Amino acid sequence: MKPIVVSAALAGLTLGAAQAQTMPAEITEPVTITWYNYNLASAGNGADATRHLIDLFEAAHPNIHVEGVPVPPQNITTRVQADLVAGQQVDLVQVTFNALGFAAEALGAHALEDIVPAAELAANFEGMVQNGLDLGRIDGRTYALAYTFSTPVLYYNADIFRQVGLDPENPPQTWAQIAEAGRVIRDHSDHIPLASGMFGPSAGDWLMQGVLRSNNGGVINADRTAMTFADPASLEAVQMLRDLAQEGILVNLDVTSQLESMAAGNAAMYLQTSAVQGYLIRGAEGNYDLRATTMPGFGDLRPRPNNSGSGLAIFSQDPARQRAAWELMKFVTSNEGYTIITRDIGYLPLRMAVVESPEYLAGWVSEHPLLQPNLQQLSYLEPWTPMPGPNYVQIATTMMDAIEMAVFGDNDDVAGILTAAQTQTQGLLP
Amino acid sequence: MSLASVAPRHGPNRWSRLNRLVRPYLYILPAIATFVIWIYEPLARAFVLSFQQWNLMPTAPRRWVGLENYENILALPRFWQALENTGLYLLGLLPMAVLLPLAIAIFTQDLSGRTRNLYRALIFVPMIVPPVVAAAVWRWMLDPHNGIVNGAIGALGGDPVRFLSDPHLALWTITFITGWKLMGFSTLVLSAANASIDGSLIEAARLDGASTWEIVRDIRLPLLSPAILLLVLMVILLGAQWSFSYIHVLTEGGPLGSTTNIYYLLWQFGFGSLSVGWSSASAVILFVGFSLIAALLFWLKAKLSFHDD
Repeated sequence: MKPIVVSAALAGLTLGAAQAQTMPAEITEPVTITWYNYNLASAGNGADATRHLIDLFEAAHPNIHVEGVPVPPQNITTRVQADLVAGQQVDLVQVTFNALGFAAEALGAHALEDIVPAAELAANFEGMVQNGLDLGRIDGRTYALAYTFSTPVLYYNADIFRQVGLDPENPPQTWAQIAEAGRVIRDHSDHIPLASGMFGPSAGDWLMQGVLRSNNGGVINADRTAMTFADPASLEAVQMLRDLAQEGILVNLDVTSQLESMAAGNAAMYLQTSAVQGYLIRGAEGNYDLRATTMPGFGDLRPRPNNSGSGLAIFSQDPARQRAAWELMKFVTSNEGYTIITRDIGYLPLRMAVVESPEYLAGWVSEHPLLQPNLQQLSYLEPWTPMPGPNYVQIATTMMDAIEMAVFGDNDDVAGILTAAQTQTQGLLP
Repeated sequence: MSLASVAPRHGPNRWSRLNRLVRPYLYILPAIATFVIWIYEPLARAFVLSFQQWNLMPTAPRRWVGLENYENILALPRFWQALENTGLYLLGLLPMAVLLPLAIAIFTQDLSGRTRNLYRALIFVPMIVPPVVAAAVWRWMLDPHNGIVNGAIGALGGDPVRFLSDPHLALWTITFITGWKLMGFSTLVLSAANASIDGSLIEAARLDGASTWEIVRDIRLPLLSPAILLLVLMVILLGAQWSFSYIHVLTEGGPLGSTTNIYYLLWQFGFGSLSVGWSSASAVILFVGFSLIAALLFWLKAKLSFHDD
């Protein structure tokens, strides 16, 4: 009797292991999956569109029921972590890219290459923006399929530009031009010359990464083993921001005040994620002429923005639920999915066919020029590099505290502040 | 035979003695058990966790890191900034939560009944406003562009003051809001203590020709000293915690970390990253530090209090 039980258990184990490698080709039994989603958590912004996506998906896949779990974006990793700890079923998660490393290394998100048949994966990647796909990869493996994302753009108030004698048809393209325009705005109006979303607890390091990288610096090296935000090129970029702050061009307000200043028409320029576009449009309507251009660069160097946004990661252990989650992933990142996401939420489409084909959004895009700089940056978008190891949050926080202090603080020793923080965060790397 | 006849007499005796001995402990057992389960056991665990690196995941390994968590925290400039800020908060809170209420309690004592109650009710109102609501109201009032306070400053010809976004001002703004919120409570405690002072003492002093100030200095203040010291103790031990909701809603510790305090930092470690080692280590530091301060304060309280026995 005993040997039979043992061998049966062994067979079960090997069978389980084999199934973990390959998900079933289709769902034949009813299955319920959970979808941890932060758009569902924001009442007016994306919740309805996301529910609409789920409804369409369930109609097309009668055997799959999707249970949406709304979680605010800043809480998504802690919530997933808490639910995994509590033994809850976690299947598909909308992960912000700065948490991607943690999701993959600590929380156990699956690399799609491990669970999805190679041919199917290749077929779905067909037609998707390559830079976008890279956002969800670590060491060449796809832990999250890029889903909703946006790029940093420079919004500007064309009315203020005209009022102080600047040309709204030629907005600043470099930081030097921003400084120049900023001085004119500072001297000839009461408006805030340059607001931004670079600093603040909820900002993280996403915008700063792009600013430093645009000067060929960076916050961390390519294989994520050394912090580099105090290296010469990064230092130069931070020093430039300090000069702007000292001149009274770049202001230090909390994130919400900066957004509200721009929306209310009190700020002339505003460097921030394109995801606030909807909010700004509502503020500008009937109030002022809101325009946007690409993120500024340094001299002749091409700006190197990174995204803000999220990818979808699969956490299911059960092969059938993995298949169901993969089906949902395919659906929301299809042409139909991105048509809804871009038009109704305001994120960028990851398939260019959506904005090029009249069948989808070509007409809509031509009516909404604010989307243009955002689309343009898609072709040279770079990944938002997650900080490695268990101290990833502390590394980013310590670094951003130091950079903020170097830009706005009373101490002129930018190099000293950054070098001290770099040494310290270096010690927190795994 | 004799043994057998003695035994039954001894039995109940021994029982009743045992009963007398054990019974008091049985009575306090539930209280002790609650303390152990909800306070001492978690405290011991926090102590152990402060030497480990762990992210609360059962699947993740707990790694012993020795003093690394402590070293990391103590090396953090923000930790020292938060510690300094905590001191500044307490320094700013003491006048608002002790001195001002003391003055109000003493000076309103001589008002007639109805006016006094109205006056004290007005002072007590901030106490019952929920902290988050109070924070939101202050945010509107202090807004540099549309706030009523800056409106008044502008009308008087001043430049708008950035109460919450100027790193040199924000901490004092939050201290003021916390103090404003506490003032009602302190006034209530001190008024009650003041009212319970035996009227005949004051009557006698008056007959002896003591002035109002002499009565306050020589009779009221000494008799109020237990209540004053209790308030000082509460403000020092708990004051920094009371500012938590205002920090969280109004500044999130900024600008440039100027409003963060040790409790807010602890919360950020613990819930921003689920890094249980870091937050436990800072909790242990906090526990040890405040235990020492509390011991000192209790010693002072016993030494300085004057009781009218």
